[in-house]
Amino acid sequence: MAPSAAANSPPSPENTECNLQPFFVLHKALPSNSERKSMEKTASRKRTRRRIDLSPSSPKSSEQSEAEFAGDHHLRTDAFRYVWSKIDSTIKNVLRNINADVFNDILFWVQESFNTTCSCGMPDRAKATRSYPVVTGPLSKQIYTGLVFTQNMELVDDLLTFKDLGLHLTSHGCHVANLSSFDFSAKNGIDGCLRGLLRQFLLANLDVADMSILASWYIDQGNYENPMVVIIDDMERCCGSVLSQFILMLSEWTVKMPIILIVGVATTVDALSSILPSYALQYLSCHKFILGSPADRMEAVIEAVLVKQCSGFSVGHNVAIFLRNYFFRQDGTLTSFVRALKIAIVQHISMEPLSFMLKGLSDEDSQDLWSESPVFLPELFKRAFDLPSFRRNELTETNEEILARGLSDLKRLKELWSSAVMCLYEAGKGHKITMFDLYCETLDPELHHSRVSDHHLGLETKVGMSSSDHQIRERLQNCGFIHQVIRKVRDLPEVLLCQLLKNWEKHTKGIIEIHAKVRELQSSLKFEDDKGLKQGLTDLSKRQKIQSNFNIEKDAKRLNEKTTELIIWMVKNYMLPIECIPFHEIICFTNVSKLQSALIGDPRRTIQVDLLEFHKILKCKCCSKSGNNPLPSMHDTSIMYVLTQEHGDLINLHDWYQSFKASILHPRIKRKHRLKHSPSPKKKMDTSESRKKSEASVQAQFSRAVTELQITGLLRMPTKRRPDYVQRVAFGL
Amino acid sequence: MEANDVDDEDFQFSRSYFLAKELGGYGKKSTCKLSDIDLVDEQELREAAANIQPKHESETAALMDSYKSFYLDWGFELRCGFGLLMYGFGSKKALLEDFASTALTECGVLVINGYLPSINLKQVMIALADLLWDQLKTQRRIPLGTSSKVQQPFNSRSMDDLLAFLDGPQVEGDECFICVVIHNIDGPGLRDSDTQQYLARISACSHIRVVASIDHVNAPLLWDKTMVHTQFNWWWHHVPTFAPYKVEGIFYPLILAHGGTTQTVKTASIVLQSLTPNAQSVFKVLAEHQLAHPDEEGMPVNTLYTICRERFLVSSQVTLNSHLTEFKDHELVKMRRHSDGQDCLYIPLSTEALEKLVLEISQ
Repeated sequence: MAPSAAANSPPSPENTECNLQPFFVLHKALPSNSERKSMEKTASRKRTRRRIDLSPSSPKSSEQSEAEFAGDHHLRTDAFRYVWSKIDSTIKNVLRNINADVFNDILFWVQESFNTTCSCGMPDRAKATRSYPVVTGPLSKQIYTGLVFTQNMELVDDLLTFKDLGLHLTSHGCHVANLSSFDFSAKNGIDGCLRGLLRQFLLANLDVADMSILASWYIDQGNYENPMVVIIDDMERCCGSVLSQFILMLSEWTVKMPIILIVGVATTVDALSSILPSYALQYLSCHKFILGSPADRMEAVIEAVLVKQCSGFSVGHNVAIFLRNYFFRQDGTLTSFVRALKIAIVQHISMEPLSFMLKGLSDEDSQDLWSESPVFLPELFKRAFDLPSFRRNELTETNEEILARGLSDLKRLKELWSSAVMCLYEAGKGHKITMFDLYCETLDPELHHSRVSDHHLGLETKVGMSSSDHQIRERLQNCGFIHQVIRKVRDLPEVLLCQLLKNWEKHTKGIIEIHAKVRELQSSLKFEDDKGLKQGLTDLSKRQKIQSNFNIEKDAKRLNEKTTELIIWMVKNYMLPIECIPFHEIICFTNVSKLQSALIGDPRRTIQVDLLEFHKILKCKCCSKSGNNPLPSMHDTSIMYVLTQEHGDLINLHDWYQSFKASILHPRIKRKHRLKHSPSPKKKMDTSESRKKSEASVQAQFSRAVTELQITGLLRMPTKRRPDYVQRVAFGL
Repeated sequence: MEANDVDDEDFQFSRSYFLAKELGGYGKKSTCKLSDIDLVDEQELREAAANIQPKHESETAALMDSYKSFYLDWGFELRCGFGLLMYGFGSKKALLEDFASTALTECGVLVINGYLPSINLKQVMIALADLLWDQLKTQRRIPLGTSSKVQQPFNSRSMDDLLAFLDGPQVEGDECFICVVIHNIDGPGLRDSDTQQYLARISACSHIRVVASIDHVNAPLLWDKTMVHTQFNWWWHHVPTFAPYKVEGIFYPLILAHGGTTQTVKTASIVLQSLTPNAQSVFKVLAEHQLAHPDEEGMPVNTLYTICRERFLVSSQVTLNSHLTEFKDHELVKMRRHSDGQDCLYIPLSTEALEKLVLEISQ
């Protein structure tokens, strides 16, 4: 093929031949690639301990050998793969569990509908594959349709759900085709969706799209043994006329082929009637299913991935706050949240050389974290003991043992934190306190410091804000969620308290300190219960009854107090935010700005800033002092864009050209300068030289700058109606 | 606090917008005409444009050099399954190609020049499939049984088939992928939504990684959330280069050139070469007529239709119209009213330029 002509010679930017090809092959993979790769691999394995650049995210010097790059690359890739596969599978499991009930309901309904259709009797092969209809009553034209309400306008979060649903149904013997709104576009028409259907069921691309092919295929598959299910994930975006044609067609064939429809609906049931005409609607016999809300899914994901920390990777307080704001205020999809997390992991691994220990740290049985380390040990220790979180302790002694102890402490403290958060969450569950909020709050190191230094916290909450200390009051109001949960626990009725303690027992399993206390409380609760029960059974006089009720209430209050004390004790002593723990840098990502810039590009603002403050990026000294006045040394397009800021929404080309010309030939500052001092001979020469600058080159510079602004989309070009004006598009950053 | 910031920002924005509007309507609008500038000859202007002295050469070079230290990280991000999206002022063509040829030697790289006015995506996909096939073959990763099935030529396959091939199964831990470098994924040749959908589907394939650049401030409007989060999976990089948009700007007319929007021979021939042979012949009929009758205002549509039918170039008015629409979209042909009231077509090029163009497309 012609475009691959330049395959072997990487072109320079001036290589115009390639630049004007729509596409070309820059280079092919190196032929001895696989051999070289395997050689590299063995080499890097043999050299298990080597020096790598351990300064975090320092620009790698170009002299670094290629082999070292390869080794480093393998190290990073391994770490990433380990962490991400854990998180990814955890998220998928969580989502699957959330949907499990609905999926089972759908399966049950599909089987039932299939049996009903089949009970009417199925035609034989000859009849079924004929393209004209079998004459039957109108009832047999009904298509069983499951409406799955996603409760979510963002289809992107439900793509996986519908794929999973398809797999779930397939695993129970159904024939499933997953179609999307692209198959129901007006452009491709009914032919497009038929083709899609055949492609998915028959796994082949056919030139002729015909339902009779599908019918004969279906009979070949086992003659009316299993239902056929067609899943359409976003009904609202389908073209109404194509969808209704499709439904009419299916209704004609439903006697011959029992197809069951499952349709995803993002809004309400009204959407159906607004898209489909009534003659198509009458063939649908609908059944509703409702999926879990996006907020529930988010809670579950946060719990499984970040609180229970399936992979050992965690994020700092600022990153958590950023992720929360990004989810609630900006994007609102779980998918983007997961993507942000993935970016954070990649960034952490490329910035923190010690992150390779993530794998060892989260493995249960790995004892020696660095015996397999490819890093030169003294360097590893030096790096680890240089971490700011360790230096805070001002310990002078540094040895292998201290690091090992530090890391096991890190692991232990994280577990404690996680179970304390789970206990808090359990207590706040029914009271609109979300996991995400609680999670962010429990990560705040400053709040933690104030909690520890403030000995009143326990007392304060006990006596109910009687202190006159306003600071504490403010702090407690600020740290809203934990405080709210504590208050809820105090007011919890006995039955719920009992339930709560049972859940706490579950969450604190393996953590002896807390577990024992929870058990203790539980046993005292049982004791109280028994007492109350006995008292209730014996015949008591009215006065005694009142007395005993009063006692029971008092006892219950006492229990509530005890439970409250327990949770406060947990929060104070065991809920240490990750950023307060030594060596946390190894597993914890804290760089918000980096994450933000990778996740959210803001070209509209950034490109303007590039133009207006270009000297900051180029780091040139000559243009930095200009203030708002364009200097001739500035980039042409930059001068032009600075000049546009003085205009209204319309820019007269003539005026713009004149001011551009003036700024590159006679800069304003110099002119002012000249007014004050007498012109030196050198400057005179300068000006005469610049006058020589040909008109043509100024016009060329002007034209090119306009073109560049046009490419960036910051200008609208002159129209026939306004031949002498360009229009500004962006106002303000 | 943060809510206030947002309000503040909104306020700033609306304030500057209305200020700008006011400035426009305030007082007298400048009535100077573009023609008041003493415009130089177009030839001279083009020459001068080709020889503009670059400013801050050493600083721009240093800036470009500074990006080299990120190549390793970028490569890692690609391997982790992200697509790289480069933005910031300045041409990023050289940067992207340098990155691809130094840091991505392990995989094949295909470059798409999105700044060109028309790009045939099917051809791109065929080339991608060829490239991948070669790579799989040299790395001996194709199971013996399947080779006969896959070996059929790619250019007779449908888009869906090609996508399925590019999205083939990967070996865990030893992925084989090819990299697609897309200059100006927001460029005129790729801007329509169908093309973007296909690009998104291509980049979601298991064997494909994408490195793309954007220049337009509104480029993100091309994609919906599904495309951004699940298909392209963009990782944004702010890499201003301040390099001149030399190739990217070829297809934009120079604003101070006479006639403003005239095509150059080069751009017109590139557009024509991407059209079908029949369309090229139709264009030639029109060009020959214009060359033969330089003083006429144009060629009436009916006459063009009759000639084209005689030569079996078109079968109906509809096909001719579809060709004409294509020409008009690329500004190869314009319509004007003849003095007798008839609509007629003309090519907005000078006679010499037209001669040169006809010569170029006849080759």
